[in-house]
Amino acid sequence: MNIWNFLHFFAASQPAAEHAGGTPELPHFIEFLHIHVGGPFVNFLFEYKDVIFGFMVLIFMCIVSMRVYSKRSIKTPKHLQNLLELIVEGFQSFFSSILGEKWGRHYTPFLGTLFLYILLMNWFGLIPFGKSATANWATTAPLAVLVFLYVQYTGMRRLGPLKYLDHLMGEPRSVITWVLVPLNLPIHIIGELAKPLSLSLRLFGNITGEDVLLAAFTGLGVMVLAFIGSPVGLPLQLPFYFLALLTSTIQALVFTLLSTVYFSMMLPHEEHEEH
Amino acid sequence: MDFSTALSFSLPIGLALAAIGSGLGLGRAVGSAMEAMGRQPEAAGKIQVGMIIGAALIEALTIYSLVGFFILSGKIGAH
Repeated sequence: MNIWNFLHFFAASQPAAEHAGGTPELPHFIEFLHIHVGGPFVNFLFEYKDVIFGFMVLIFMCIVSMRVYSKRSIKTPKHLQNLLELIVEGFQSFFSSILGEKWGRHYTPFLGTLFLYILLMNWFGLIPFGKSATANWATTAPLAVLVFLYVQYTGMRRLGPLKYLDHLMGEPRSVITWVLVPLNLPIHIIGELAKPLSLSLRLFGNITGEDVLLAAFTGLGVMVLAFIGSPVGLPLQLPFYFLALLTSTIQALVFTLLSTVYFSMMLPHEEHEEH
Repeated sequence: MDFSTALSFSLPIGLALAAIGSGLGLGRAVGSAMEAMGRQPEAAGKIQVGMIIGAALIEALTIYSLVGFFILSGKIGAH
């Protein structure tokens, strides 16, 4: 097995191969196993490939945090612990600026984990032979539904069911606003239901778009050098990796920021403003 | 004209129209943000965060059109 056979092994999987969907995608290691090995276990892995990639991110995050926690020291924190503390404190100040001191502290674990999970899943697709699990609507929709359910539960618990209903009806105080309740209530409910839809579709569309962009330019690069029968192509997709890094980070930030804003709308904010 | 031709014709045009609208909207939003940052450089951090959120919300509309493109593009040539 010389170097030429090795390169042709990869080229045979056609980096910008268009499978039944029609949109080109860069291959990941499960797709390689599926094409070159096959068998019932690999078919099972291929069906659940997004779950597996999501799990890999999860296990990476768990291993890093457990190692840092087991070797933590309060007086002389070392390198990785310093970095993680910097990240967590940054999250806390950021969420406190939107939610207020007390609620920012309370919701930092959930929102910070959400941000890091989505960010790492997005970045996994940029590693060679990796895939972003968020490039599948089946990954982003549960995240959006989770945020939606948590926000509604927070509203009902912190505001009380009566005030929650009051909030949904648009807070009727005078005769006119009471008359407008049959208009306000469906609009608010549809607005609440549109939130998880838009959150999930925004993340899914952006990440799939950047994956398809990378795959299309990789295919172009391969086509450019195909006339000499070369198994590698020009790396035309390199500039777009920077764009993909930027949009991955921005989309994770926007998902988390919008979730924070939805929380702040459902938390009691009318009483005292302690800015 | 069969539906494959109609789809191949209308999907890119629809996406381009969504991109035009989003380009105009983003130009206005980012332009106002730049002006505000120029007026009050101390508030630049907060304005920048708000600008990023606004830009992502406006961009999302084009992304919805792109998602529709992905869903329908597989149906071109399939019957």
